[in-house]
Amino acid sequence: MATALTFKDFAGQKAMWCPGCGDFAVLRALQEACARLALPPHRIVLVSGIGCSGKITSYFSSYGFHVHHGRTLPIATGIALANRDLAVIAAGGDGDGYGIGLNHLIHAIRRDVDLTYVVMDNGVYGNTKGQTSPTTVAGTITPSSPSGAVEEPVHPLRLALAAGITYLAQGVSSDVPQLVRLIAGGIEHRGFALINVLSPCPTYDRLRTYQWWRARLVNLDEEPSYRPDSRELAVEAVSSRDASIVGLVYRAPGRPFQSRLPRFRPSPLASERLAPDGERARRILDARYAV
Amino acid sequence: MDAETATAVTVAAAEQEALISGSEAVAVASRLADVDVITAYPIRPYDTMMQYVAKQIANGEQDAEYIVAESEHSQFEIAKHASAVGARALCGSSGVGWCYAFEAIAVTPALRLPLLAMVGNRALDDPGAFGTEHNDALAARDLGWMHVWVDTAQEALDVTLIAYRVAEDRRVFLPCAISTDGAFLTHSQALVKIPPRAWVDEFLPRYDRGDLRFHPDNPITIAPQVNEDWLMEIRRQTDQAMRNARGVLEEAYRDFRRIFNRDYGNPFFEEYYTDDAEIVLVGMGTLSMPVKVVIRKLRAEGQRVGFVRVRWFRPFDYERLGGLLSRFQAVGVVDRDFSMGSPYNSGVLANEIRATLYGQPKQPPVVSFITGLGGREVTIPNVREMFEHTRKAAETGASPRDTLWIGVRA
Ligand SMILES: Cc1ncc(C[n+]2csc(CCOP(=O)(O)OP(=O)(O)O)c2C)c(N)n1
Repeated sequence: MATALTFKDFAGQKAMWCPGCGDFAVLRALQEACARLALPPHRIVLVSGIGCSGKITSYFSSYGFHVHHGRTLPIATGIALANRDLAVIAAGGDGDGYGIGLNHLIHAIRRDVDLTYVVMDNGVYGNTKGQTSPTTVAGTITPSSPSGAVEEPVHPLRLALAAGITYLAQGVSSDVPQLVRLIAGGIEHRGFALINVLSPCPTYDRLRTYQWWRARLVNLDEEPSYRPDSRELAVEAVSSRDASIVGLVYRAPGRPFQSRLPRFRPSPLASERLAPDGERARRILDARYAV
Repeated sequence: MDAETATAVTVAAAEQEALISGSEAVAVASRLADVDVITAYPIRPYDTMMQYVAKQIANGEQDAEYIVAESEHSQFEIAKHASAVGARALCGSSGVGWCYAFEAIAVTPALRLPLLAMVGNRALDDPGAFGTEHNDALAARDLGWMHVWVDTAQEALDVTLIAYRVAEDRRVFLPCAISTDGAFLTHSQALVKIPPRAWVDEFLPRYDRGDLRFHPDNPITIAPQVNEDWLMEIRRQTDQAMRNARGVLEEAYRDFRRIFNRDYGNPFFEEYYTDDAEIVLVGMGTLSMPVKVVIRKLRAEGQRVGFVRVRWFRPFDYERLGGLLSRFQAVGVVDRDFSMGSPYNSGVLANEIRATLYGQPKQPPVVSFITGLGGREVTIPNVREMFEHTRKAAETGASPRDTLWIGVRA
């Protein structure tokens, strides 16, 4: 008899992130979310980019594809198109997704590809030892900006909303139960879902610790006047306080790319019989040449 | 005391020494050369260079525009166009990062932009690996980039200065890649002599693009669409520039010796115990370390063995190298790279050497080896084994029909 799935069913290799890394919480939340949705490992493909965060494919038990730096979304899109029976989840760092791979995010959003993208936003290039990343706050001292970062950061929530996203959320590694809800909601959403996770890097970011975030974050899910189906409220929230909100920011009915492709068949390409039916071909040819 | 020794004494007095790595030596050279624009995007092992530059700028020791771009594609494009407006420019990368910049890399020679790039040689992912392998840099070997492999941190510093001088010479105006073996050179420190700025200023003139400078006062168009009308002429001009680089390199090394009092001999390749050698190994980069150790041991046992380290891979000094190698009874070529499906299934260098020897009246047997991929150490026993195979070829007088992989699990 089948038993209910638990997070343990998604345990891969032992995670080797630094002690205190926020990515542990993201891994756990992803495992809990899949268990809660009763999605067995063989129905999931996790695609990850390069970075500390990208190691998640080794630590999560499902089909996995650890791809080139910045290329999670094109590969996840390909998988999502070829096999709609799979839950496709992309994951990576802020450098991977909002820097070198940023253009893909905008295109995946405008296509509304039915997949879930979890970004572990630690505000540094962790894997290459702590340099300034696209979400590093101006003025921060890092090995690539010893006198303080000079550029303004990318604002992923504003960008995603402006590009027309249909599921947008932000979580923090210190609140796993909320992360589970946000990720599960993203997987259930038919369309493109972005969950930006504020995931502290205790090794290279001494400023934005768990305590630092806790003192600043407001939970939209608990704000009685906030309605995630209101675009106006979402625009207002991400423009004025995107660095201090967590929760479901925006949700609208998706129009998944898959459902808009004219030749997209109801069954997944992966399970279709693509080779010609030899017997049938012979009957047709026999009939044609009357043998 | 003659005039030359007199200069040498002042030279020794004015130089400083510092314990720095190969990457850091390139960064120091960029400071000495007063590079105007430095672009960066982190990737191991090259990132040690960009971080040292950042530190020098923050310490007020270096004055350069320093831009950490959002990818290699952007950092190479930014540096390339800085070079077009007349700025001395530096960029760099490793492994797949270098590959991600390939669109910019491919067009830089035809635009005649003397950009310098440091390549911290690294295996191409997937599968993920940080260790040295030369296929990253070699992927660009045919495109008109000058290309040099350095062996020590001192050579990294010196060659960076030399490369600017040659690349920015109007007879050349070509980009140059400086390859440094990942980890073995990028991350290992040595005492490096740091010359005073005055010598560098004497050696390295200002970068002057003249009428090719992109400037409002000099309205020109770079990279217009030309198609078959002009493309072949442009390629021919780039080819001529690379031919010119041979002579310009010789001049630069001569002047370098005069001003800095460091003599590299033939700029294109280094010879180690070749005078009376019967057999030699040929290779590039930090491979020289284990090979030289083994040569000293084998010499103590009475074996006449030597080593030739190819420094400048483009332009390639095929005439003198061919003349030298044809003297030996057999030549073993060690590739830290691969060229799958190539003649003899060998690496890139081995086939360059075969082609080089083809023009010689006497052709010794060539044995090709592939070893040390993905940063695997080339050990003393590995080198001994390669000398043994090369010795066997000398005895039989025949080249093996295939390439030997050394230090690989069966
Ligand atoms: C094309 C390319 N350029 C550079 C790198 C080097 N690199 C590896 S991870 C990384 C950035 C990691 O930062 P982020 O994406 O924020 O992930 P984190 O490690 O912080 O989780 C970089 C630049 C690479 N692997 N490929």
